Amino acid sequence: MTNTNLLKLNLGPQHPSTHGVLRLILELDGEKIVSCKPDVGYLHRGMEKMAERLSYVQYYPTVDRIDYLAGFFYSELFCEIIEKALNVELSERVKAIRVLLLELNRIASHLLWIGAYLMDLGAVSPFFYTFRERELILKYFEKITGQRMMNNYFIFGGVRRDIFDIEDVEEFLEILKTKIKDYERIIDSNPIFLQRTKGKGVLEQNVALNGAITGVNLRASGVNLDFRTKHKLYEGYEFTPIVSEGKDCYTRYRARVLELNESSKLIKQAIEKLKQNSALNQTLIQPIGLKLPAGEFYSEIEAPRGLASCYVKSDGENKPYRLKWRTGSYYAVNLLRKLLKGTYLNDAIAIAGSLDIILPEVDK
Amino acid sequence: MNYLYFLYIEFLTKHNVPQIIGDITFYCIPITIIFIVLLLVVLALVLAERKLLGWFTQRKGPNRVGFWGILQTLADALKLLCKENITPSSADRFLFNLAPILMFTPALVVLGLIPYSSEFMFVNFQTNVLIYIIFAGFPILSILIGGWASNNKYSLFGGMRNVSQVLAYELPIAFSLLGVITLASSMNLGKITLAQSTQYGVLGWFWMPCIIGFIVMFISILAELNRCPFDLPEAESELICGYNTEYSGMRFALFYLGEYSLLFANALFLSVLFLGGYLSPFGKYISTVFFGGQIGEILLYFEQVFWLILKSFFIIFVVIWIRAVFPRMASFDLLKFSWAFLLPISILNLLLMVLLKYFMGGVYA
Amino acid sequence: MNIIEFKNLFGESELFGEKIIMKSDIAKSLQFLKENYGYNILKEIIAIDNRDDIELSYRLYSPDDDEDVIITTFVKGEAESVSKIFDSAVADEKEIFDLFGIKFTCNDELERLYMPEGWKGHPLRKNYEENDERLKWND
Repeated sequence: MTNTNLLKLNLGPQHPSTHGVLRLILELDGEKIVSCKPDVGYLHRGMEKMAERLSYVQYYPTVDRIDYLAGFFYSELFCEIIEKALNVELSERVKAIRVLLLELNRIASHLLWIGAYLMDLGAVSPFFYTFRERELILKYFEKITGQRMMNNYFIFGGVRRDIFDIEDVEEFLEILKTKIKDYERIIDSNPIFLQRTKGKGVLEQNVALNGAITGVNLRASGVNLDFRTKHKLYEGYEFTPIVSEGKDCYTRYRARVLELNESSKLIKQAIEKLKQNSALNQTLIQPIGLKLPAGEFYSEIEAPRGLASCYVKSDGENKPYRLKWRTGSYYAVNLLRKLLKGTYLNDAIAIAGSLDIILPEVDK
Repeated sequence: MNYLYFLYIEFLTKHNVPQIIGDITFYCIPITIIFIVLLLVVLALVLAERKLLGWFTQRKGPNRVGFWGILQTLADALKLLCKENITPSSADRFLFNLAPILMFTPALVVLGLIPYSSEFMFVNFQTNVLIYIIFAGFPILSILIGGWASNNKYSLFGGMRNVSQVLAYELPIAFSLLGVITLASSMNLGKITLAQSTQYGVLGWFWMPCIIGFIVMFISILAELNRCPFDLPEAESELICGYNTEYSGMRFALFYLGEYSLLFANALFLSVLFLGGYLSPFGKYISTVFFGGQIGEILLYFEQVFWLILKSFFIIFVVIWIRAVFPRMASFDLLKFSWAFLLPISILNLLLMVLLKYFMGGVYA
Repeated sequence: MNIIEFKNLFGESELFGEKIIMKSDIAKSLQFLKENYGYNILKEIIAIDNRDDIELSYRLYSPDDDEDVIITTFVKGEAESVSKIFDSAVADEKEIFDLFGIKFTCNDELERLYMPEGWKGHPLRKNYEENDERLKWND
C-alpha cells in the first residue's frame, strides 16, 4: 500500500448529530475511520462535587438535570436513597404513581430517540411524528407536575401531590398503539433505512458485557438483563424484557420500538393499581434539616439509557460525604472507541446514534 | 413565431417606429418575461419546498412574512444580502469567490435551452441535449472548487463525495438519454417534444415506452442535484453542511439559488424528454377551444408554457415528497447502486429502445 | 459466591458487610471472579476520599446469579489498573484520575476528562482548594 497521511477530523463538540457536546477525535483514511477517541466534559456541571456542599433537599432539584430526557429516573434514584436510609416504606398508590410516571418518561425518551435517530440518518419527517406523541406525554407531565421536563415531582417518602386525570394516559396509550404502527410503516419498510442499519455496528455480547453496556443496547445483543425485574417498585408487575439477537443498529432500533409496547403494558397495570388503591397514604420525610444516618446507601434503576445508580456515603451530616452517579451513556461513549474503528464516516453516525447517548448524562 | 412577429411589426408601423427596432426588441420581450417568471418560480420553489415539508410533517411551514408566508424567500434573500461575507483566513480567495458564480451561471444558461412552447426557444441548436448535459455538469466543478477552497475538512469531504457521486450517475443519465434520442431520432429538445405528439395522447409520451429510462433518469438526476436520499455532499448530520459549510451571505445565497434553479431546470428537462414538454395532456389546447381567432393563437403559446411548468412542478413535488420520506443513503451503497444496478438497466433500456424503434418506429416518425 | 474459597486463594482479604476488602491483587481477584464466577460486568468503580487514603470499590455484577459483589481496596496516589480485564474500567479510571488524581498503572489513556487541561488539583479530593478565578462568583 502507499504511504498515506491520516486525516484528523474533529467531530463535534458543535456538530448536528452528536446530540449535544460530544467530541469525537477521528483519524480518517479516506472516509474510513482508523481510530476514534471520544472527548467529553463540555457539559460538566460537577454534580458530584455539588452534592458535597449542598444539603440533601438543596441538592435534590438538580438531580433530574443529569438526564433531562429521563429526569424522573434520577429523582427516583435519589429519593430511594433517602427512603432506604430512613427505612420509609412507600404506600401502594405512591408506588403505582411512580411506576406510571417512570414508564411514561421512558416512552417519551424512546420516542425522542426514534425521531432523532432517523434525523441522524437524514430522514426529516419521523422526527416530527414522534415529537407529536411525545408532546402528549409532556402535556400530561405539565398537568400533573407543573413542569414539562425536570419535574421534581417525587419527593422524599412520596410524591408532591396526588395524581389525577388518568383518562388522559389511557387515551394516550390508545393513540400510541396506532402511531407505533404508523412508525413501522414509514420506517421499518424503508429499504434505505434497512440498508443503513442492518448489519451495521454489530455489538458482540462479550464486548457489550465487558464495556458495562446495559439497558436496551445490551438486550439487543442477546443478554436477558433488565434491572426492572428485581426493582422494588416493579414488584407485582408483569412484563417481558425485550431480548433480541440481532446485535446491529436495526435491532437496537426495533428493541426500542418494542419497548414502547412493553412500557404501555406496565402503565396499564399501574393504572389498575391506582384504581384499586385510592388513598395516597404517604408518610413524608421532613426535608429541612434532614440528616442521614452514617453509612453507605446504594440504589439502582433501569433508566432508558441503561443502568443508572446512585451511591451515597453519609457521615451523619446533612450533606453526603460522597455521592456518585452511574449513568448508562458514559459507558456507551467509552465503547465508541471500539465500535467505530474500521467503519465509514456515515456509518459511524448511524452507529453512534443507535447507542442512544445523551451528553448531560455523560458529563454529569 | 412568425405570426406573433407580424402582429408586432404591424403594431409598430402603425405608430411610426422603424422596423429595425422591432426586429431587435421582438426577441427581448418574451425572453425578459420568461426569465423574470423563471426567477420568481425559483423563489417560489424554495417556499414551496418549505411549505410542503411543513405539511408532510404536520407543521404550517413559513407563515409570518407576507400573506401566507409568500414573502419568506424574499425576506431570506434580503437577509443573506445584508449579511457579512466572511472569507476564512486560510481559504483560497480567488477560488472561494469563483465557486458560487460557477454554480449559479450554468443554472441560468441551461434554462435558455428548454423549449417553453412551440415558439419560445431561445437557443435552438440541433444538439440542444448535449449542450444541456455539458452545462448541467458544471456545478460539480463549482462544488469541488468550493469544497477545496474553503480549507475545511467537512467541505472537502462534501466536494469529494459530490465528485464521485456525479461521476457515477452521469453514465446512467447518458444512456437513458440515448434511449430517448433514439426514439425521437433527434438531439434537439424541440423536436423531441414534437415527436411525442402522437395519436395516443398522454400514453404516447416517452415516459410510457421508455419507463425504465424515465425512472433511471429521475433517480440519477436526484443524485446529480444532491437531493435526498442522495444528499451526501451536504449531509447535515454528518458533514455539517458539506461543501458550503464556510459560505455565508450572498455567496451562500448563490449556491442556494443555483441549486434550486438547477432543480427547476432539470425538472423542465425531464418533462420535455418524457412528459411531452409543452404538449397539452388533453390532445387539444384549451385556449384554441375556448378562444377563437387571434387571441386564442397568442394565448396558445402561454398555455404551452403553463403545461410545461405544471409538469415540472409535478416532478418537483415528487422530489420534495421523496425528501420527506427517505433517509440518506450510505456513500458506499450509493456508488454501488449506480454502477451495479442503474448502469446495467439503463444500457438494457437503450437496447429495448433500439428494438422498439426498429419494429414500431412508425409511431414516432 | 463461595467467600471461603475466595479467601483461600487471596489470603489478605477480609469480609466487611457486603464488601470484600483486599490489600492488594485487585486485578488478579477481579479476573478470578470474572472467569470462575461469571461476574462479567464491572458496574462501576467508586472512589471515596477518606482523607488519609482513597478507597476504591469495584462493584461487580453477575447476570446469571443476579448478584453484586464489591471488592474494596485502599490506595494512596497509585493503583493497579483493571482496564485489561474490564473494558469499561478505562472510563472509570479516567474519571477517577481526573477527580481524585489517582494514577492507574498500565492505563495509558489517563488525562483530564471533565476538567480543562492544565487545571490544578483534583476537585473531589477533600483537601482540594478552589483557587480558580472562575469560581469566585460563589463568595
